[in-house]
Amino acid sequence: MTESPQRPRDDGQDHATGSNTGWLAVSYLIAGMAVWGFVGWLIDRWLHTGGAATAVGIVIGAAGGVYLVVRRMGS
Amino acid sequence: MSSSGAGLLASEFPPSVEEFFPPALFGLDGWLTKFTIFAWVAVGVLIVFFLAASRNPKIVPTRLQWMGESIYGFARDGIAVPNLGHEGVKFAPYFATLFSFILLTNLFSIVPFFQISPNAHIAFPILLAVISYVIFNYVGIRKHGLVKYVKTAVVPNAPWYILPLLIPIEFFSTFIVRPVTLSVRLFANMFAGHMILLVFTLGGFALLGANAWYIQSISVLSWLLAIVLTFLEALVILLQAYVFVVLTSSYIQGALAEEH
Repeated sequence: MTESPQRPRDDGQDHATGSNTGWLAVSYLIAGMAVWGFVGWLIDRWLHTGGAATAVGIVIGAAGGVYLVVRRMGS
Repeated sequence: MSSSGAGLLASEFPPSVEEFFPPALFGLDGWLTKFTIFAWVAVGVLIVFFLAASRNPKIVPTRLQWMGESIYGFARDGIAVPNLGHEGVKFAPYFATLFSFILLTNLFSIVPFFQISPNAHIAFPILLAVISYVIFNYVGIRKHGLVKYVKTAVVPNAPWYILPLLIPIEFFSTFIVRPVTLSVRLFANMFAGHMILLVFTLGGFALLGANAWYIQSISVLSWLLAIVLTFLEALVILLQAYVFVVLTSSYIQGALAEEH
């Protein structure tokens, strides 16, 4: 390990960032749907819209999550 | 959740929610359970192991010294430095401790007479996740200051009109989803592993108690599967310890990063 510090470091980096990226993407998608779905649910409770706002909120949140994933990992 | 096969067979069937709470030991109001003892055993074993491994170090390491150094070396060169660069070396002791503690406590789930990991009780993964959570936030706040740290963590690089949509997602993802998934991932893996081994081992006994020979003979298959799944569990044990530490290091890296 001591004679070639460069090689194992590169191997580790590829592997580690791969799994990190995966977990980050999952986290964004869940967070997006959870946050805006919850806001939609609150609006449903408030205006008695019977679930429509929750559905819209989840879709908007998923879109936001996808946007963040693309933004963070696309560049 | 009794530890031995005989104890399990004596338990009620079908099992109830009460089984999730291990019995209190020595009648101490329920705070001293099997999990507490296992955690103490793990801490004791690790202290003795690393003290013995680092005592009187040699240029040509003894076997024990080699084992201790490989674990630390793995945490430093395999996790800390690849994720955090040279700055990561100062986190290597924490990563090594975290990795060896989770690995050893996870290992209890397939060690005879222990047979369940403290990490199958949600309290232990929660505490471990809280420690990592406090560390990555503290490190980020110390480096950037509170306002800039939260701003970097929460405000993505995007046009202003889309920010109101994204900021709550970023906040939720960084400060709430991270610690929850960190603890639940470890807990659920260890708990499910324990349940699976339990189902196949006890299933073997249940089949053996049937009243027809062709059902009784299936119990051999059930126990065979229990053995095979124990090896699978060994893989999960190693993987979950590794994943927990890698994610902790990646959160610290995110907290220290200048810009996204």
